[in-house]
Amino acid sequence: MFTRLCLLAVATFALVLVPQASAASQIYWWQQNMSPGQIGYDRRYAANHNYNELFFGPNAGWWGEVWEVTPAGARHFDRTCQGNCFNAHPATYYTYVYCANRDGRTHFVYDCSSSW
Amino acid sequence: MVSRRRIYVAAAFLAAGAAATAVLTQVGRGGSERVRIGTGAVSALTRAAKTADVLPADVVELPFAAHNFASADGRGSRLVATDGTTQIFAVPGKGRLLCVVEVDEAADTAGGACADRSVLLTGSIWTANVREDGTKDVVGLVGDGHTYASSGARRVPVANNAFVLHDVAGDEVEVGSPDAAQTVSLSK
Repeated sequence: MFTRLCLLAVATFALVLVPQASAASQIYWWQQNMSPGQIGYDRRYAANHNYNELFFGPNAGWWGEVWEVTPAGARHFDRTCQGNCFNAHPATYYTYVYCANRDGRTHFVYDCSSSW
Repeated sequence: MVSRRRIYVAAAFLAAGAAATAVLTQVGRGGSERVRIGTGAVSALTRAAKTADVLPADVVELPFAAHNFASADGRGSRLVATDGTTQIFAVPGKGRLLCVVEVDEAADTAGGACADRSVLLTGSIWTANVREDGTKDVVGLVGDGHTYASSGARRVPVANNAFVLHDVAGDEVEVGSPDAAQTVSLSK
């Protein structure tokens, strides 16, 4: 009985840990229609990001931007693009991540994503 | 009493007039505003491949490559410019996408953009690093026929369908040929 309880405890602990480990290594969020001026962001907690991406889709042609902001408000790793956009860089600062379409019109956005 | 034939003729004239008005309106609003240069062809992509044209492995492993590049390994890429320790590549994308990717292996950074090739008719497929003071370092691809890119008084030549412009202070750059110029907006 004790052994079974131990196994159950280990299994439960593993189930709790696995999603957290995955989320700590990479996080994705997405938005379907970014209205003009809308900014997508992840400010749940600051992390040491090393990659940001904005993906409109296969017919990209609009202005996109990805950037990071430290909790103190300093802006880093700001990249703007014509179309789908990415920025890969050393993990330097603890930051929140942001993305936006920048031509003032509503667009379908498949992914704003980031990893650390 | 008006004959049925006259009604048909009048309706036909009205329809033709409406169609002509619609065409002229569209030309007036869009066609005349967008200067076109070339056909959108990019000769740099068709030259014989060299060893230096291969994208670094850590770039093709990024999610961006899987989302955008025509092949998983970035096949067909061409090194189109070198700027200090930064290398600029043109990469065929999925469908009608064409990508510009800048890689600085010394700084361990990479960035890029992919857009529909039709953009090359009226401007550039570009990406820009925005510094904290708002100035930008812009790299871009242009189609055959473009010969220069400029920002303010600075003008750089296009070579291998690519240009690099440092310290761009405003939100526009100009790309062009000896006969025409296009404005590329870097912000909304």
